[in-house]
Amino acid sequence: MTAAHVFLERSSAPRYRWRLVFGLGVVCAALHALLLPRLHLQEYTPDLFTLSALYVGLYASRHGRYWPSLVLGLLRDFFSMGLLGTYAVLFSLLHKYCGRLRTKLDPDRLPCALFFGFSGVFLVNFGYHFMLAVGGNGVGWSVALWRCTATALVSAPFAVPLFPLLHWLLGLLGLQRGQGGLRNF
Amino acid sequence: MPRFREKLSLLWLVQHPLVATCILLALTMLLPYTRVAERLKLLTFLPLAHAATDVPEPEPEKLSELDRARRDLLFERERVAQLAVENAALIDALADARLRTDPDTAFAASVLPKAVNARVIFHGDASTWRHCFWINRGRRQGVMESMPVVSGRTLLGRVFMAGDDHACVQLVTDPGFAASCVIVDPAATGAAVRGVLRGNASALPHFPRLELEDVPLGDSVVAGMRVLTGDFSGQFPVGLNVGVVREVIPQAGFLQVRIEADLDLASLDVVQVLLHTRPEFEAQALALMRKGKK
Repeated sequence: MTAAHVFLERSSAPRYRWRLVFGLGVVCAALHALLLPRLHLQEYTPDLFTLSALYVGLYASRHGRYWPSLVLGLLRDFFSMGLLGTYAVLFSLLHKYCGRLRTKLDPDRLPCALFFGFSGVFLVNFGYHFMLAVGGNGVGWSVALWRCTATALVSAPFAVPLFPLLHWLLGLLGLQRGQGGLRNF
Repeated sequence: MPRFREKLSLLWLVQHPLVATCILLALTMLLPYTRVAERLKLLTFLPLAHAATDVPEPEPEKLSELDRARRDLLFERERVAQLAVENAALIDALADARLRTDPDTAFAASVLPKAVNARVIFHGDASTWRHCFWINRGRRQGVMESMPVVSGRTLLGRVFMAGDDHACVQLVTDPGFAASCVIVDPAATGAAVRGVLRGNASALPHFPRLELEDVPLGDSVVAGMRVLTGDFSGQFPVGLNVGVVREVIPQAGFLQVRIEADLDLASLDVVQVLLHTRPEFEAQALALMRKGKK
């Protein structure tokens, strides 16, 4: 890729950003509120919302990582009974975590995708319990540890088909992968 | 000049992730006091409440057999809920009469307050940690925050936030839920054991497992004993069913009491909101004084 191409890519404005974020947020909220509880998977319910935020943190261009992660978290807070801003803070921290590890681990490789899925879901859920505990509503650290590990273990394999699926959907919108495998949304 | 203006702008500071995180954390602490978030969330579910309430009743001839059966089932459930409230009131009246003749036989002979029947319009939460459902009754029907929500005489949760025509109910399984409870043996007339019920985010839809906290080690608690709401805080009416003791594990200084809640989420269509408000401190003191005089 020539320097001119790189310059053009970096200087172009992000595309479909808010439509994608709101669409992804509403679909994930509907899945979590309507479909997943009916499957009665208990603590083994996959956390698809966090995986979507993980995708944004890993693959969005450097212009469009932080705010989309934050808004995605706010959307989740909005459809939840908890304090507004809890998931927003956690997802914005998740994007920082992804940004740091993205340069060291390639999320396109299967073991790395699994690792990102497991660690991201575990950290977000454990962070949520931390916020609950700060408010005096914790369920006990050992129970929380087991619960977060179970959720992360179940969610990690979902990262393997979810990331290519989102790649394919973005490809349909014409958002091709650019330098470093990032997409300009 | 534009460059100078750019330098003066502080937008970059707000856009920094750490600064924005601090702002969000501060908002997270401040927003519960202003109740802005609750109002926004209530607004989100308003169309759903209207959709559930304003549906015109279709003519029975135009309904399919399945729809007709579903409508009949809902009607029967509403009737069962009404009968359960009546039954509970009769049981209470009977218990009240017994209490008048022998004040020491019952620890919790209470009359249930008036109830508002409500339909569950939405059940679920975007977070796997929180458990709630939405009902189609709100402030206009007298529903207020913290009012207990029951099905018959079984405690389901409490009203978390109430709009004009809809309300969000926090389930007993939600981690933020707590209630003062008593453990009683239906077969014996021993003293009731106190404990605090706390939600543990259990996602079991049928009869979830919960735990009672702060049960003293010396108290005799065995599997099979009933758990009812207690009179310690006045938050809930006395004697609402919570569950059955399934396991008792002695710990250092207290008993870990595991219970099976009577809550069955799968069959929740119609619930009752008890128009019960927590008594003021003065009212509680007066009641205690009257009890002492007797």
